Amino acid sequence: MHRRPRIPRAKAQPMEFLIISALNGVIYGLLLFMVSSGLTLIFGMMGVLNFAHASFYMLGAYIAYTIATTVDFWLGLLVAPILVGLLGIFIERYLLRRVHSHGHAHELLLTFGLAFIFEELIKLFYGDFPVNYAMPDYLRFAGFTIYGTDYPFYRLFIGFVAVAMFITLYLLLSRTRAGLVVRAAERLPAIAESLGHNVPFVFMGVFGTGAAFAGLAGAVAGAFFPTNPNMALELGVIVFVVVVVGGLGSLEGSLVASLLIGLFSSFAVGLDWSLAGLLSWVGLGDWARSVGGVFTLTLSSISGTVPFLLMLIVLLVRPAGLMGERN
Amino acid sequence: MLARVAAIGVVLAVLIAVPPLLGIGWQNAMTNMLIASLFAMAFNLLIGQAGLLSFGHAAFFGVGAFATLHLMLAIEDRSVSFSTPLLPLAGAAAGFVIGAFAGYFATIRSGVYFALVTLAVAELLHSLAPHWDGLFGGEAGLSSMRMPWGGLSFGSTLEVYYLALGWTALSILLLWAYTRTPFGRLTLALRDNEQRVRFMGYNAHATKVIVFAISAMFSGIAGALLAISNETANYSLFSLHVSAQVVLHTFVGGSTVFLGPVIGASVFTLFAFFVSDVTRSWLLYQGLVFVLIMLYAPLGIGGLVQAHMQHWSRLRWPDLAPAYALAGAVGACLTGAVVFLVEALQIVFSPEYAAARRRLDGAWPPIELFGLEWQVFSPVTWIVPSLLAAAGLLLLPHARRKLRESWDGVLERAEAERTAEPEPQLAGAVEP
Repeated sequence: MHRRPRIPRAKAQPMEFLIISALNGVIYGLLLFMVSSGLTLIFGMMGVLNFAHASFYMLGAYIAYTIATTVDFWLGLLVAPILVGLLGIFIERYLLRRVHSHGHAHELLLTFGLAFIFEELIKLFYGDFPVNYAMPDYLRFAGFTIYGTDYPFYRLFIGFVAVAMFITLYLLLSRTRAGLVVRAAERLPAIAESLGHNVPFVFMGVFGTGAAFAGLAGAVAGAFFPTNPNMALELGVIVFVVVVVGGLGSLEGSLVASLLIGLFSSFAVGLDWSLAGLLSWVGLGDWARSVGGVFTLTLSSISGTVPFLLMLIVLLVRPAGLMGERN
Repeated sequence: MLARVAAIGVVLAVLIAVPPLLGIGWQNAMTNMLIASLFAMAFNLLIGQAGLLSFGHAAFFGVGAFATLHLMLAIEDRSVSFSTPLLPLAGAAAGFVIGAFAGYFATIRSGVYFALVTLAVAELLHSLAPHWDGLFGGEAGLSSMRMPWGGLSFGSTLEVYYLALGWTALSILLLWAYTRTPFGRLTLALRDNEQRVRFMGYNAHATKVIVFAISAMFSGIAGALLAISNETANYSLFSLHVSAQVVLHTFVGGSTVFLGPVIGASVFTLFAFFVSDVTRSWLLYQGLVFVLIMLYAPLGIGGLVQAHMQHWSRLRWPDLAPAYALAGAVGACLTGAVVFLVEALQIVFSPEYAAARRRLDGAWPPIELFGLEWQVFSPVTWIVPSLLAAAGLLLLPHARRKLRESWDGVLERAEAERTAEPEPQLAGAVEP
């Protein structure tokens, strides 16, 4: 089920490891950005940390899977983001707005409950196991060959979609009138409203767009990475790390943080560094190995832990994140 | 007050007297109910009293469980001698220490950022535990045995149940006593207006750290009880699902009422025991109930109960009873429709059904639901839930209006009584 290419160990081929890991890391980072951009935009505007955001990613993958197996793969890529975007609009308009007066904690709890429901609905319809969502065979070829290893074209395609999405988003926000209103509504909602702009409508639109991007990410990436009911939870916590490290509300920050986390996860799995190894530089290696425990944990085995450590450090030292302005 | 004490006494008497008459499955379910209740009460000390929303309370629950298992292992190989009924003290100590440490950092931030720090702490442990054999036993986790102590074997589920009951009752009593202390009042003040607390010269951060550590300590006791009951624990105790359950229990029960979390935890764990054999969609219903409560009754079940108790003398049952009957009918119709639909879809989309279809060369076998057989493509099958849903939706606006009207009356009477009372004279006020 896992179609991740074999990860070369660091010692075998340093250059091969370096290049392949960097490529994988950048592309995984771009995928993270597709999901986190919507989350960070929504938080910046509405102050709502949307727990259900990664569920949009999962729903996108499952909708695209359903359409790909019954009709056509490309139609799935087109329809999934639209349906997920409409769902996002519905959630903002009819559910979130209803609890808005109870405060942010309540909105957080509501999206939390929705994430719960989406996961269970997916289990209801598709079962509690991975589904076989795969790209069409004609996309299954090597983009290029490096050090005798074929690099799958589809990975490059994921990266390409993410870059296209980022450029679209950037142009929309910085070059169009609608983008101007969105930025105004984000910065000073009360003044934008008094100037005659329909701020609740803008919020709804941004929420829907963010959801649609997450749905697109799911539709594209689900065909390469495993599509299962846990994918929302697994990606969701990493996406939280990304938006926190990048700075809640900052689009550029979330791009940088996505790439950072992507590169880190991709490199860490191939490195067997440990604290004991580090201490042996100062002659304490044997002592550390005899103590064991935390000293002999290798970086590859705790690669899942480091992002959370990073998130904790950022939250405590600089809660505005790398590029956020507000606290 | 007297009525409340009497009510609690009756509940306790039932909890003591009834379990010996029940089967082991029930005793186990009730033990889990007690553990979930205690965990939710500990969690609610933070959100209900101090206004801090934690999304990582599984961390302290798990730490309590692992600490207790380490002590149990030490007792087992006779390197330590410790009485079995006092084992939860290990969980309490571990929860308190880790809670004070994590709380020190978490409470530097507030709001969403606080929630994110707690989430990160739990995820940190969750991702670290499977790789750390010495402390968390790797992916398999730790297992141990309850040792007999002082004539008690602790071999039966019933003995474990009474142990859990004792610790839960004691902990809830302590939590209640806590709310009556000056420090407990200070906790409430922190929730309501932190700035003012600071101006009055209190150290807000230190206070929050202590509250956090106490909450973690009681979570640790709950985790310890789980470890004693299951005699095993692994890294999945740290997962977001555990943190999510306690949030669900607390808010469904009502976080603004002292015993609200107990209601939520008891209802959900006992329901899970009832229906988990019958349906696989239990968690879906749980999520739906949670979202509906968030949307329509933000104070939870406990909040509804409290509203009735507060206005008891002003409730006019001739008005309310028909409104409640109608609302109950609407609820029953909609619940019936949703349950029918979910269960039918669940069967049709299950792998077993797909296998049955393959055996029948693609024909659609009937599905069994509520003791009846339903044809998948027969209109009758889908008319039943549609009729229920239509009836429910048609009557829904009517029921809501009636409910609102009768409760508006109650609130009006309360308002009238309040304004009819003379203005309280300020002591020592100077007459003009």
